[in-house]
Amino acid sequence: MTQTEISFKGRKRPLETALKAAFFLSSVIAIAATVGIVLSMLFETIRFFEHVSLSEFLFGLKWSPQTAIRADQVGSSGAFGAVPLITGTLLISAIAMVVAAPIGLISAIYLAEYASNRVRGIIKPMLEILAGIPTVVYGFFAALVVAPFLRMTGGQLGLEVASESALAAGLVMGVMIIPLISSLSDDALNAVPNALREASLGLGATKAETIKKVIVPAAIPGISGGFLLAASAAIGETMIVVMAAGLAANLTANPLEAVTTITAQIVALLTGDQEFDSAKTLSAFALGLLLFITTLFLNVIAMRIVNKYREQYD
Amino acid sequence: MSKPPIITARDVNVFYGQKQALNGITLDIPRNKVTSLIGPSGCGKTTFLRSINRMNDLVDICRVTGEIKIEGKDIYDKDVDVVELRAHVGMVFQKPNPFPKSIYDNVIYGPKIHGQIKSKADAQEIVEQSLRRAGLWDEVKDRLHESGTGLSGGQQQRLCIARAIAVSPAVILMDEPASALDPIATAVIEELIDELRKKYTIIIVTHSMQQAARVSQRTAFFHMGDLVESGATKELFTSPQDERTQNYISGRIG
Repeated sequence: MTQTEISFKGRKRPLETALKAAFFLSSVIAIAATVGIVLSMLFETIRFFEHVSLSEFLFGLKWSPQTAIRADQVGSSGAFGAVPLITGTLLISAIAMVVAAPIGLISAIYLAEYASNRVRGIIKPMLEILAGIPTVVYGFFAALVVAPFLRMTGGQLGLEVASESALAAGLVMGVMIIPLISSLSDDALNAVPNALREASLGLGATKAETIKKVIVPAAIPGISGGFLLAASAAIGETMIVVMAAGLAANLTANPLEAVTTITAQIVALLTGDQEFDSAKTLSAFALGLLLFITTLFLNVIAMRIVNKYREQYD
Repeated sequence: MSKPPIITARDVNVFYGQKQALNGITLDIPRNKVTSLIGPSGCGKTTFLRSINRMNDLVDICRVTGEIKIEGKDIYDKDVDVVELRAHVGMVFQKPNPFPKSIYDNVIYGPKIHGQIKSKADAQEIVEQSLRRAGLWDEVKDRLHESGTGLSGGQQQRLCIARAIAVSPAVILMDEPASALDPIATAVIEELIDELRKKYTIIIVTHSMQQAARVSQRTAFFHMGDLVESGATKELFTSPQDERTQNYISGRIG
């Protein structure tokens, strides 16, 4: 009796190997680019701190990056205190959150708990369209419609409103992040198991009581994660503030005054011809890194909260 | 003379859109007894249970005709407030569903929304009494302010029972309350049900005929939206009148 010889040796599969390499490369490119950007920001930032001390940058109250071209001119050294930019950024973002948080959350509650499928099918895509409007259009709207309107209304009320007020930029930015908040809150509310709604209604609670006492508290982690992501988007938003917030680095908490933001300053610093080793140009990198660290920090916390919450009900 | 039934259902039809889920159910539920509703999946037993506290109202396409009276009052009357109805008819669900709140807050939830609590002492008394009746007090009395979701499955289900009892309902509906539990936790729940019927009328939907036989005094057998047969549990299991009942309890259908 003869036995068939069997072999477990595989043939070469070059396509498999090539594809695997291609997949790996694609994923590495995105990461490598990010790492490259961060590193270059880091190196330029280090160069910036050869001109300006870290404490002056972080705690200095005056921002005036214009340095003279020749050393003997007046005002040859600029001031690089980032505090007015940080407060300006926070002021505008805070106004945006004051607008967007309640409207976004309440509309999410409406969508998740009250809206019929038909209404939901209309409103949700509309919110998504709102999220797709280019920010330059918002900026435009803020600068040409909202800001003049606020200035005019303020004038009639006897208030001094700057033509590029923090309020105008903040209000429009708030509208911009409403879809972000409502969509993430809607997800969080929908993730609350139906069993909890039934438990509450079965005990004789009304719908409003159920939402207030059971559904929203159960969704709070997801909702707050959404708020943090929205805040991070507001802090990093550029076009609206470039067009509507102005460039005056005022240290103020008055929303009717003009303020400037980190992003708007970066744009201003790098627009036009620049010397690449002046403190003025290098300061843009320091600001960029500061912004990057802030939003990264917010995003990481937000994602952690959101993910932890998801696991809870799976 | 036996007491009059607490719930009387007359010719109850339930429709989901075009589909009819229950066909003219007429059934009396005796007070302070356990009535079990049995039958194969999709037979309408849960639909019937949920029409007793009008949880079916939550389904947009659901329509109920006929008459269900509790203590002589038609619960589908126009002037009936489901909030009040559900204060008198409590419900325990298939999967334990405690709120992600403390044990204490879970129990006090119902009494609070119904304004049954006047003082902190009231609240404490309701919590202790409800947890005692649900047989959970000794296990949780030292950790009332820990989360209810941290308890074991069986404890969670007893917490849900305590939560339902806290509102002092007359009737407790249980939708397969032990189906997500292990045999030991199930035994504890079954003993509890037997204890609870002294004070409450209980209607329980169950997939397990053994469970129906163990805990209930009355049994109703549903099949494809019809109430096939109902009667004393012992009789229904030993001498079923209808062939479908016989087939089901002997394991030939379902």
